[in-house]
Amino acid sequence: MSARIKSGWLSQGKGQASPSEQFVPQIETEIAGVRFQNPVWTASGTFGYGKEFSSLIDLNDLGAIVVKGISPEPMEGNPSPRIYETESGMLNAIGLQNVGARRFLTEKLPFLRTLRARCVVNVFAYSTEDYVRCIEILNEGEGIAAYELNISCPNTRCGGMVFGSDPKLTEEVVAASKKAARYPLFVKLSPNVTDITVFARAAECAGADALSLVNTLVGMAIDVETRTPRLWNVTGGLSGPSIKPVALRMVYQAARAVRVPIVGLGGISTTEDALEFFIAGARAVQVGTANFYDPGSSVRIVQGLRDYCKRKRLHLSEIIGSLKVPGR
Amino acid sequence: MYDETVIVTENRPLSGSHFLLSVESPRQAQATRPGQFAMLRILGRSDVLLRRPMSIYDLKDKNSQAKSGRQPGPPQVLQFLYKAVGRGTRLMSGLKPGEKVGLLGPLGHGFFEEEYLPRAHQTNEILHVAGGIGIAALLLPAKRLAEAGFRQRLFFGGRSKDDLVGIEDFRPLVRGMLMATENGSAGYRGFVTRPLEEYLARHSKKKFLLMVCGPGAMLRATVELAKRYGHPCLVSMENRMGCGLGVCLGCCIRVQGTGHEAYQRVCTEGPVFWAEKIVWDTGGSV
Repeated sequence: MSARIKSGWLSQGKGQASPSEQFVPQIETEIAGVRFQNPVWTASGTFGYGKEFSSLIDLNDLGAIVVKGISPEPMEGNPSPRIYETESGMLNAIGLQNVGARRFLTEKLPFLRTLRARCVVNVFAYSTEDYVRCIEILNEGEGIAAYELNISCPNTRCGGMVFGSDPKLTEEVVAASKKAARYPLFVKLSPNVTDITVFARAAECAGADALSLVNTLVGMAIDVETRTPRLWNVTGGLSGPSIKPVALRMVYQAARAVRVPIVGLGGISTTEDALEFFIAGARAVQVGTANFYDPGSSVRIVQGLRDYCKRKRLHLSEIIGSLKVPGR
Repeated sequence: MYDETVIVTENRPLSGSHFLLSVESPRQAQATRPGQFAMLRILGRSDVLLRRPMSIYDLKDKNSQAKSGRQPGPPQVLQFLYKAVGRGTRLMSGLKPGEKVGLLGPLGHGFFEEEYLPRAHQTNEILHVAGGIGIAALLLPAKRLAEAGFRQRLFFGGRSKDDLVGIEDFRPLVRGMLMATENGSAGYRGFVTRPLEEYLARHSKKKFLLMVCGPGAMLRATVELAKRYGHPCLVSMENRMGCGLGVCLGCCIRVQGTGHEAYQRVCTEGPVFWAEKIVWDTGGSV
């Protein structure tokens, strides 16, 4: 697996550059034939449709924006309470409230198209037919870099994670979606499985161009005074720094199990977090929950990655999957 | 909207476990409209991640505090009135002058958006109804209304006398204040809706506009009274928030509407809503 980007400086060879020469690290990344100016993206459901952050950060500094899950029809979502803060993390059970595929195309996509950051559209539905229908609607849109098939949402009654927790269903929905998709298809996997590699391989076999992992871990919290759940939905998806070690392990396992590129996410809030995912094998990363409490974190990670590469005199491609396991 | 690291200038303990936190941010202070809020972040705590939504209680010109008698200039200081009850607010209560906090604001639609003003002008009197720390959302609106010459009255309820914080700030702005405490330690014994209902019944010919902020049960009872007596009612809603930016959709409440419009974000479409817009009786909605 090589993520090297063909460009002039690579053929010159790194060793020929004199030490006094300024080293310009290459942090572009290419996935399924799509070039991203950098490998730091914002995760679905944590960044709205991009515009909400435009007064706080320069969106053009991001590699990509993965928009909130889009379903074929608008969805109203779950009653309140929808979120609850936990130690170093948070639970959410939003229920995929969104404007639906048609309004996304007319109201949200035109703005996203004007950015240097790529637009990746997260796609959600309750049945294989509806995933296909959603993709067919979105195919009419110009300027979408890729789809990210959400088969791992833990917060909706009878869809989402069902597809992501049965390898046969994973294959079925990915194959049908791939056939319909005009743009490259990424598949977002659930961590709520016994063996992530089974699902990574199933998605790859069915034609996924890349894999995003992980979605949230199913969790819950209880108010002991009232003995009621903290969330209306009883259970919810755990995200934030507390899930990072689990996500990192799964990215590492999946990267060794499949050939398609891996996009890593789960609790990334600093440059060091992102680097861990690259070293474990991710070709891009997504910043999620950190956007809520630190809107500048994604852009700082882009700069932090550049600084690290400069200091180490390494290009991004040389970091990806570069984990050294002593003695083996 | 600005995302800044700002300096705490004061964190004054009040009665009960209430505090008045002052932070310096000229940009946010000058951009604030009455009824807006800010998201406050405790820095350097990786276990407490999320910012806390806080009503902007008051704005101060720090220079005029020092030299009394001087006309206040543009505000530089934002004040937040809060009660230390949960993990976030307890940490907040330990903040010392000179320490830094994250501040994102000002956020949301306050009490004086264009659509509200015509109805305010049709009233004889504005009635502010506060439950506990809900008072924090109402001072700036009351100040603005007083400047514009409106008649105002405050109905303020709490569990005990200790909960009735900030009344001195309201005194010069209103024609009267009616208190109620559940334990009877100040004002009426019982809920604030009792003196409110008496007042509404006694002045059934007058036109009022109610501005309300407080806990869920108190809001529902007040909104019910406003409806029964036929007065328009603006409520400042509270909910757990993840971001304050309108992207996490964690703070959504049920409103009149269908599809994805059945829920609106307290942080973005709110926190101030017309009472009739909110669906009050669905389980867990508020």
